[in-house]
Amino acid sequence: MRGRWSAAGLVVVLAAIAAAATLGLVAVRGHQQPASRSQQVQQIASGLHCPICKDLSVADSPAPLAQQMRQQIDEQLAAGRTPDEIRAGFVAAYGDSVLMSPPRHGIGSTAYYLPLIVVLGGALVVVLLLRRWRRPSGVDAAEPNGRAPLTSAQRQALRRAVERLREEEA
Amino acid sequence: MRRRLLLLGTVVVAVLAVVAVLATGLGRDPAATASPLVGRAAPDFTLGGINGPAVTLSKLRGQVVVMNFWASWCTECHEEQDALDQTWQRYRDSGLVLLGVDFEDTSDGAKDYMHQSGLTYPVVEDKDSKTALAYGIRGIPETFLIDRSGRIVDRIIGRVDADRLAGAVEPLLKGGTE
Repeated sequence: MRGRWSAAGLVVVLAAIAAAATLGLVAVRGHQQPASRSQQVQQIASGLHCPICKDLSVADSPAPLAQQMRQQIDEQLAAGRTPDEIRAGFVAAYGDSVLMSPPRHGIGSTAYYLPLIVVLGGALVVVLLLRRWRRPSGVDAAEPNGRAPLTSAQRQALRRAVERLREEEA
Repeated sequence: MRRRLLLLGTVVVAVLAVVAVLATGLGRDPAATASPLVGRAAPDFTLGGINGPAVTLSKLRGQVVVMNFWASWCTECHEEQDALDQTWQRYRDSGLVLLGVDFEDTSDGAKDYMHQSGLTYPVVEDKDSKTALAYGIRGIPETFLIDRSGRIVDRIIGRVDADRLAGAVEPLLKGGTE
């Protein structure tokens, strides 16, 4: 039973490591660079909320204002502005809420750090549980030979037996 | 026992923190949040006039500007029409410019509506919505108040009423901010 729990814990730890490694790889490599300007427009537009729609990105929205935003992105790319500069221009007019992903500052940063904290907290709980499960049940730490500790009644009986032996020897 | 209580307390605090973050974020209407443009210089533009000459905002420096984004298809815009006209008629000789900016509309539609409603203040046409995007428009009507130095002092989302406009405009006409 104990072995099965240990194996399950090991699987959880390995899964957590695999998930963290995947996320780390994505973070390091970043998004794939778009090949053409229209792909670049699409990529920037997909990171912006359509301001007059409910839960649609500028890339997905058929609204005329979203079309104008896509055209503006295209014009600004043609004029040599970087994606970050273009996004900053929309944020200046609409605020951070125009971004599909929360900003990495202020309260928005919790969206990035909270999952990490939860994963680390979960890993800590798993480690603590594994340590508990691996400890032999019912064996006191002061009993390195693995035998079950004596009960208080047994201790008293033992003490009485030793006293009787001493009296007989005396 | 103490360790269990500590663990339980940590979990409860973590869950409450997540709930608080979600409640703060989800309960906020992005359209109702303050515009980041308030307090900053109003983005300049030159737009062609529908009922008059083209208007360049920077040339209106020294006057108080009430800029109203509207369209002929917008019912709420029709409802605020009287309040805007009243404000224009009452303060036009005191240094106020009321400027309508026609948004996502056809020229003919705008002209028909202006003719039928008797709209008297100048109206310009934002054909490519670039001005609307520069002002962070999320829907219409939206009204911006710009002081004599060209700084945006307020944004009103939705229909305006004459009393609120008068209360906002009068201090600006006297030279102060709202």
